[in-house]
Amino acid sequence: MNRQAVDAFASGLDSEVRQAIEAGTARVIENRSHTLAEDYSDLDGLRQLAGQVRQHALDHLDRYLPQAERRLRDNGVQVHYAPSADRALEIITGLVRASGTRVVTKSKSMASEELDLARRLADIGVEALETDLGEFVIQLDDDHPSHIVAPIIHKTRRNVADSFAKHGLGDFDDDPEVITRRARRFMRDKFLAAGVTITGANFISAESGRVAIVTNEGNARFGLAGADIHIALAGIEKVIARDRDLPLLLSLLVRSATGQRISSYVELVSGPRSASQPSGPREMHVVFLDSNRSRIVGGQTREILRCIRCGACMNTCPVYRQSSGHAYRGVYPGPVGTVLGPLLKGEDGFGELADLARASTLCGACGDVCPVNIPLPDLIARVRARSHREGTVSGDAGIPSMGGYSLIARHPGLWRLAMRFGRVLNWLPLRQLPLGVSRAWFTSRTLPRWRGGYFRRWLRSRKEGQDA
Amino acid sequence: MLTPDRNPIQGRNVQLMISCLCDAFFDDAAKAAVEILQQAGCQVTVPSDQTCCGQAAYTAGDWETCRQVMRHTAKVFAGPDPVVVASGSCAAALFHEAPIAFEGESDLPVMQDLARRTWELTDFLRNALGVDQWAGSLAARAVIHHGCHTRGTATREAVRTLCAGIQGLEILDVPDADQCCGFGGVFSVSHPYISTEMGRKKVTDVLSVKPDIVISADMSCLMHQQGIAGRLGSEYPIRHIAQVLRDASMGGLE
Amino acid sequence: MPDDRAIVLDRLSASLDKLSERTPYPEFAADAATPDALRGRGRALFAKRLAKAKTVVFETPQALGDYLSEHDAAIGYCDPDLAPLLRPWLGPNVELDLEFDHGRVNEYAFGITRATGGIIETGSLILTDSDTSNRLGALAPWIHIACLDPAALHETLADAITGMGDDPNIVFVTGHSQTADVEGILVHGVHGPGEQVCLLYDLALPEGHGDPDQ
Ligand code: SF4
Repeated sequence: MNRQAVDAFASGLDSEVRQAIEAGTARVIENRSHTLAEDYSDLDGLRQLAGQVRQHALDHLDRYLPQAERRLRDNGVQVHYAPSADRALEIITGLVRASGTRVVTKSKSMASEELDLARRLADIGVEALETDLGEFVIQLDDDHPSHIVAPIIHKTRRNVADSFAKHGLGDFDDDPEVITRRARRFMRDKFLAAGVTITGANFISAESGRVAIVTNEGNARFGLAGADIHIALAGIEKVIARDRDLPLLLSLLVRSATGQRISSYVELVSGPRSASQPSGPREMHVVFLDSNRSRIVGGQTREILRCIRCGACMNTCPVYRQSSGHAYRGVYPGPVGTVLGPLLKGEDGFGELADLARASTLCGACGDVCPVNIPLPDLIARVRARSHREGTVSGDAGIPSMGGYSLIARHPGLWRLAMRFGRVLNWLPLRQLPLGVSRAWFTSRTLPRWRGGYFRRWLRSRKEGQDA
Repeated sequence: MLTPDRNPIQGRNVQLMISCLCDAFFDDAAKAAVEILQQAGCQVTVPSDQTCCGQAAYTAGDWETCRQVMRHTAKVFAGPDPVVVASGSCAAALFHEAPIAFEGESDLPVMQDLARRTWELTDFLRNALGVDQWAGSLAARAVIHHGCHTRGTATREAVRTLCAGIQGLEILDVPDADQCCGFGGVFSVSHPYISTEMGRKKVTDVLSVKPDIVISADMSCLMHQQGIAGRLGSEYPIRHIAQVLRDASMGGLE
Repeated sequence: MPDDRAIVLDRLSASLDKLSERTPYPEFAADAATPDALRGRGRALFAKRLAKAKTVVFETPQALGDYLSEHDAAIGYCDPDLAPLLRPWLGPNVELDLEFDHGRVNEYAFGITRATGGIIETGSLILTDSDTSNRLGALAPWIHIACLDPAALHETLADAITGMGDDPNIVFVTGHSQTADVEGILVHGVHGPGEQVCLLYDLALPEGHGDPDQ
């Protein structure tokens, strides 16, 4: 156990996958920065503002969550609280069972990935169809998303065409337009047949109980036009204080996620369909998922809950780009995942994913692009500190002990001695030393000549010269 | 901005922190830092008990060790005088990371005081001393590498401004200039594969514009890049910004 | 045994009570994120923004009729209130279904419904449950035609959001349905319309439609 898992994964990554991710992230980075530069002269000011708007809601969630619940109930929505992912599954499978439907349509929702919802519904004999094109391909391949906005960023069009052909969705054709048409055709019958549709929620306003759902494909809209029952699954952190926060948050979310100014569809749902409306759910449920969020909200890494899932931090992260989303072994990849991943696992599970926080140079590129100004590098460092304190096995793998360094760095006499004796390094066959750390450095890098002590000698001689 | 509000500068006394890497490998950069500060009119003290800023332990997650080392550093650099650091990364460790690592500790105020006195060298020249033009000449085609720890600090602008005043110094644009070179302290040995790939990309991008020198306020990044280039068999001439400023005032490359 | 609600809310209060201070609500204008370059008013600007957002704009029913015949769009769904007003402009071979027939979902070439408003900043159409005669009609056919009274325009996204009534389903539609999931290549018409059309014209509907503040 002396290799970090993310590094091991990255070194074995298929070069085609790496290229696909490199190209995919580069494209979005370009679009994002182009739009933001064109639109905002004070982007940092807006990011700070949005961060404060989100943090305010989180810091007062004990007030806003029940307020959102009340508003939702007033609007005719049934509200459920799920302390854990398991409980959320129970609630949702219970609702689906009670509806008697065999088909459920699902829109993209990261919270549902935490529950592995589609697979769990399949377990009870319900066809839970992922309707986002990317998620649909993931489902066909029994794969996992590699990115929170672009789930199949790791796949080429040939991969997708292969899957379609394999699953009887026409002969091999890798024209994205053909692929899209086939998915359109296949899914509309499902939309109309489904008794239940499950969506996520980008935001829920405590003021009005409005649930904001953002898509480009229109799949959430179709779900909400076809099914009889709508279940919105949302982490409790999705609650915001007021409707007037939405324009700011939506504007930054969409620009950061894709470089668009607004997505094709922004849907604000506050209840079952109105009396005059012939299509759409007659029943609406909101399931608030806690699953360790309530623990994070008062802790030292609480800013991570501001996240609005734009994906910008992973697009810009050089470690993500080298290693792909799958390296993060969970729902949330990239910088946000290095913090959220281990924390959402709770007290007992923290150690399983604690190593993710090691997978960063702390370069800060993520923090610079985050639309809600999450201090990602600081949070990553905090997760590392906790991992070290708790001595997690995954987090400690391959990390050199600081014992010797600590001793020398606190004793100046020893330090000065070490500076002089370090020169032996100049004569050692460093590349061949049987030390893990040394090999890890020297296999791909040289070290400059050790010149410890020279500066201090120069300083002394200079001083003596001046004194004389 | 990552930098705290600094104490106003009084007098011309400064304490210079040279950084452990300059202590061990880059003595000429440390010398140059002393010389340019003196040239700018400062009384420079270089406490001989200085060791390291503690960042290695901070990034390793060993905050107990980190605090011990930082406590030592705070003791060595006590007193009211500003602490000028010949590394953007070590400076950020003291003004940004130390207050985080000391949350809840009784000596947090000591570290906060240190934070308010800590400056990266060029930030100090430019924003504390108000130097906006560095007189000198140096005929070279150069790449400036901004260490990642100078994101959100005044160092980047300071380095660019000081370089811009030097006659004959041509600053080249590099593709993906903002991307990290993959060093990251312990990251370089805990994630050797990713670190190396990032390093190779950086070195390839920098060498693609054929610079005579690569300049930075951080020797750690430059050491990593040079180390990568070395294994690839490429020359990679690195200069600390202090060396550039000193050489420029002497009218040329050493 | 405490119920789920009590468990979550208790945990939340216990956790938040540890905070020494809580972030105040910042002062800001609701339209703080509206870029200066996208501000402005007027029907002409809105039409321009619609077009920029890839929504096809017609300002007369005649132009809409011509467009449908060019596209050989023979069968479509139409809001029953709009049908008599539009019928004269559509060719004699165009068949309008006034009730959305699930069995013909793949036959419908177009759907015609009312939009409640427009947003100039983003070039968006606002659809609401109360004005949309059938959600499917506004969504399933390849072409969606939204009829909008040009008087019902909001300048900014913030105006639109803060000025909404309590309709249970409000959709801001900006251009057509699209995806970039496969290699980042933009393809339109995934689940929703592959072509979004707006008839920006006062059809003089009998009731007081199109006022978003109602
Ligand atoms: S952490 Fe910030 S940048 Fe990353 S996905 Fe969340 S909101 Fe976007």
